[in-house]
Amino acid sequence: MKVSINWAQHYSNVDLKSIPTSELLTKIGEQLGAVEDVTEWGSRYDNIVVAKIVSVSKHPNADKLNLCLIDDGGVTKDIERNSDGLVQIVCGAPVVEAGMIVAWLTPGATVPASVGADPFVLDTREIRGIPSPGMLGTPSELGLNDDHSGLLSIDPKEVGEANVTPGTPFKNLYGLDDVVIDCENKMFTHRPDCFGILGVARELAGITGQAFESPDWYLNAPKFESKPTTLPVKIFNDAPDLSPRMMAVVIKDVTIKPSPIWMQAALTRVGIKSINNVVDVTNFLMQLTGQPMHAFDYHKIVDRSSGDAAVLGPRMATDKEPLTVLGGKKLTLTAQDIVLATDQEPADLAGVIGGGETEVDDKTSAVLLTCASFDMYAIRRATMRHGVFTDAAMRYTKGQSPLQNDRILAHALENIIKYTGGQQDGDVIDLKSYGDRVFGSETFVHEPVMVTPEFINVRLGLNLSVEQITKLLTDVEFEVDVVGGELEINAPFWRTDIEIGEDIVEEVGRLYGYDKLPLELPARSLSATVKNPLLEIRSHIRTVLTRAGANEALTYSFVHGDLLSKVGQDASHAYSLSNALSPELQYYRLSLTPSLLDKVHANIKSGYGSFALYELGKTHMIGKLTEEGVPQESERLAVVIAGTQQQSAPYYAAKRYLNTLLHGLGITATATYQPFEQKDDTNTYYASARSAEVLVGDTVIGYIGEFSASVTRALKLPAYCAGFELDVAALQALAADASSVYSPISRFPKIEQDVSLQVPAELPYADLYGVVRSALQAAKPDDTRVDVEPLDIYQSDDKSHKNVSFRVRVVSFQRTLQSAAVNTLLDQVAEVAHSQVGAKRL
Amino acid sequence: MNYTNPQIVEAARVLKARQAESADKSDILKAVELKALFDQIKTLPPEQRKEFGQELNSLRRELQAIADEHKAAAEALPPIDVTAPFDVNATLPPLIPSEQGSRHPLSAEIERVTDIFYRMGFGVVESPELDDDYHMFGALNFPEGHPARDDYDTFMTVQKDAKAKPFVAPAHTSTMQHRVIKQYKSNLDNGEPIAIVIPGRVFRNEDIDVTHEHTFYQLEGVYVGKNIHAGHLIATLQTYLSEYFQQDLKAKIQPFYFPFTEPSFEFAVERPDILRKNDSEEQKWLELGGCGMIHPNVLREAGVDPEVYTGFAWGFGIERMVMMRNTIEDIRHFESGKLEFLRQFS
Repeated sequence: MKVSINWAQHYSNVDLKSIPTSELLTKIGEQLGAVEDVTEWGSRYDNIVVAKIVSVSKHPNADKLNLCLIDDGGVTKDIERNSDGLVQIVCGAPVVEAGMIVAWLTPGATVPASVGADPFVLDTREIRGIPSPGMLGTPSELGLNDDHSGLLSIDPKEVGEANVTPGTPFKNLYGLDDVVIDCENKMFTHRPDCFGILGVARELAGITGQAFESPDWYLNAPKFESKPTTLPVKIFNDAPDLSPRMMAVVIKDVTIKPSPIWMQAALTRVGIKSINNVVDVTNFLMQLTGQPMHAFDYHKIVDRSSGDAAVLGPRMATDKEPLTVLGGKKLTLTAQDIVLATDQEPADLAGVIGGGETEVDDKTSAVLLTCASFDMYAIRRATMRHGVFTDAAMRYTKGQSPLQNDRILAHALENIIKYTGGQQDGDVIDLKSYGDRVFGSETFVHEPVMVTPEFINVRLGLNLSVEQITKLLTDVEFEVDVVGGELEINAPFWRTDIEIGEDIVEEVGRLYGYDKLPLELPARSLSATVKNPLLEIRSHIRTVLTRAGANEALTYSFVHGDLLSKVGQDASHAYSLSNALSPELQYYRLSLTPSLLDKVHANIKSGYGSFALYELGKTHMIGKLTEEGVPQESERLAVVIAGTQQQSAPYYAAKRYLNTLLHGLGITATATYQPFEQKDDTNTYYASARSAEVLVGDTVIGYIGEFSASVTRALKLPAYCAGFELDVAALQALAADASSVYSPISRFPKIEQDVSLQVPAELPYADLYGVVRSALQAAKPDDTRVDVEPLDIYQSDDKSHKNVSFRVRVVSFQRTLQSAAVNTLLDQVAEVAHSQVGAKRL
Repeated sequence: MNYTNPQIVEAARVLKARQAESADKSDILKAVELKALFDQIKTLPPEQRKEFGQELNSLRRELQAIADEHKAAAEALPPIDVTAPFDVNATLPPLIPSEQGSRHPLSAEIERVTDIFYRMGFGVVESPELDDDYHMFGALNFPEGHPARDDYDTFMTVQKDAKAKPFVAPAHTSTMQHRVIKQYKSNLDNGEPIAIVIPGRVFRNEDIDVTHEHTFYQLEGVYVGKNIHAGHLIATLQTYLSEYFQQDLKAKIQPFYFPFTEPSFEFAVERPDILRKNDSEEQKWLELGGCGMIHPNVLREAGVDPEVYTGFAWGFGIERMVMMRNTIEDIRHFESGKLEFLRQFS
């Protein structure tokens, strides 16, 4: 929202111009909202003066150039002058004559329109052999409007005789000595009044502690005149729920021409293109009050109506109804769009953009001026649906109060008559459908808010008196009455956002100044914060895996349906987005592993020969809902290891990571790995006979394995690749249950001996280990501790058998053991292993 | 598979037998008999076509499945002993050297941020990645029809909740406000405040570029107690930010609008020395996020009397600070899974 301070000043009873800009910006930033940009217009006009052309003669060396002698009142220093004190300038404009009042950009001036882009600074240049100091400006070069067809000819009648005295600084004209502040729109989301300069002017008064008085024409309902009807009009409202107020009036005998320079320049400064004296007035008032209006060519509406009258009003569009809008874009409407239509066809997309065939143009002789209100959400959806974003729509999406329409229509009527020479025809039509002041779920003018000073002070940490609160609020034209100990507060009609006590808290706090709130921390007792166990276990997992050289990755929660099918997951089990940005982000993932596998190939290609990626995240599967009825989330950890060098089967590398993790988390319960049959979405991608389910006790905590040939092919995985995925909640429970495995350290030496056992190749290692371990425990001498660990697994070339070697450590807590005792122990173990699993001692 | 059409029963017998004998199990799918049967469909009377076609397709699928199974078995590596600690004739595979390991910078940041709030006495609760309309909008005082509720901004699922509304990919961690207030309401009865921060992954329906991601992280804070005012909010943020940047810094608020707070603010902090390029006015403040006094409707909806208790809430993004502190040039690196990115962290 661009706010011209000159403009605000014009409509404000409070002296804004004398507040230094920097102070104003700080105030706005703190008490109104963020400032995006500030443009100092006044300084753009430095070194530009009003001059009068005294005489014009042909340039001796060029057909299309003239030599002008100009009078600048002698104010410009260090310039070559003739004996009469006049300055000679070469001028190429098509129309230039003695007596014209022009703007002279003296040497040193910067062409105003070039500021901000590629600043062009003028000096004295020789043009076809004749020196020419600076130049005479066109309206476009001067940043007043788009007109570059000829020199700006200053009309004394418009700017006042006093302002055309040669030598007058040009910035004194047309309100150019201005500062335009661009405020961020977001903070005004609930403040439609602040999308008008009048609303901002009121706030500026309020935050500088001064009482604002709205202009009479805005504050008080107008009394419209009744005029005879020569141009009949029928206004209807077939969308009363979404269009609470529809006003219209016909203005006949208008002459369409450019609006006055000051108005064009004012619009230009706030970024609105000048069109003509009718459209400019509506845009000017929109910028002033936040209320959009639309002017139609009366006769074009008649032509598109069934009879002799102009018929117009809001209705819902029908599906697929076509409409060509300003600028030529062709829209296909839907039944959710509101249009202003004749009884035959739509004339504009209501609240968003005018129709291309009904606009006011140079030939327009009568105008049908409308001022309507529309549902803010309906307008927002229309802009999104059709991709049309206009100043009017932006304002309508904030929900302007329909109570201001009559004021603004009256003011527009007065100004259009003034600038077009037209006159009102017939009566002003006003269709109100907000009846009981209710519009949709929004109540327009609210019941008075009753609030105590304590209520306000508690929430702001302040101690404001009734008088202070009353002053802050009445400065911005609230009505405040003290009733008992309470304040009865009535919001002015343009405020649609004041409903409850907290709204008053905001108003008071903001106007008083948030920078003045007391900074103090809430008082707390000294109880210890309970840490979140899920976040703690995740942090521990990161520590362990990072220490083991793995890299934590984060990948999107959404995956492509192709990825699901590549890894054999069933997309019908996955939540899918109805409005995904692309097919790549269509489904909530069923497990994390596929996302990591998807990152393997690119990393290999980038030259990483050996890595482990891990991710901690949530997965979702259709069907499981929480007590609240929201999808149950599963907390998961996935690890994928990959490399370009084939060492042993990659499964064992993954397993080493898994065991390292369990150990690092202090999980002392033994994990077992066993082949699995049951396939589901969390394990479809593993290679059979080279993968396992991981159990602790009877609980499956996840799956580990190499990946199937089809997955390897589809995701271009290297041959050396394996991974696992675990349930983090299960890990958390196991870590919480972990008991200490510490045993005292013996002061006697330990004895270490190896035992090798030959077993059939197909006997699972775990079976043999289990036998050895329990045999050791059963046979070990009293008061000793026995540890056993695998040393080597040798498999013969013909794969008929394998030799498994264990290292056994025995230590006594009572005495120094003899190796004979350990030999006996191992003999016993070998015997048990032989009888139970047919092992042969080597 | 039990086929009823005699022609197909016969074809199944012949083709399966031939497939069993053939070395290449997928050859059978190109058998002339199969093609002839498919060609036959269009010559059948319309009322027979459907059933015949279905059976024929089943047969083809059955043959395909057998072929696939054989292919998988042929490609599959020999079984391994999954119970062993290492491979036969091999040693225990090495771990990757420790110095190559890394935490993700966003996880590390969330741990760092939550640690500060733990020390300030806040509990930590995580937000979900899939939530319902009620927690995302209804409980947060978003009126029906509010723009945030349409799918231009927020991802929604095809699947619906019990109220026939789509589930929502939360666009902000505020989706947890209602839950934590409700969950910790008993604190208030015990004379203790509710003090919780909520880190979480959130989603916005927007196109991505170097500074925009559809997936990012936020941290929400909620504090409810007796006589809590806006000054407490600023002081809390100021304390956190000074600790975060290890420098005494001023925080300030400016007016803003959110449906779930009243009044609402944006907050900014004095730019710490480490992030300050020069002394210009633009470099003076760092805008960080939104905050406000919790809307009475939000408190009431969670069963807390807004006449008795007041509270504040705030939220800020996680990525921006990480990017600024590390001068990361492209937000898309975070979810890229690129080791070139990940291994630069520790």
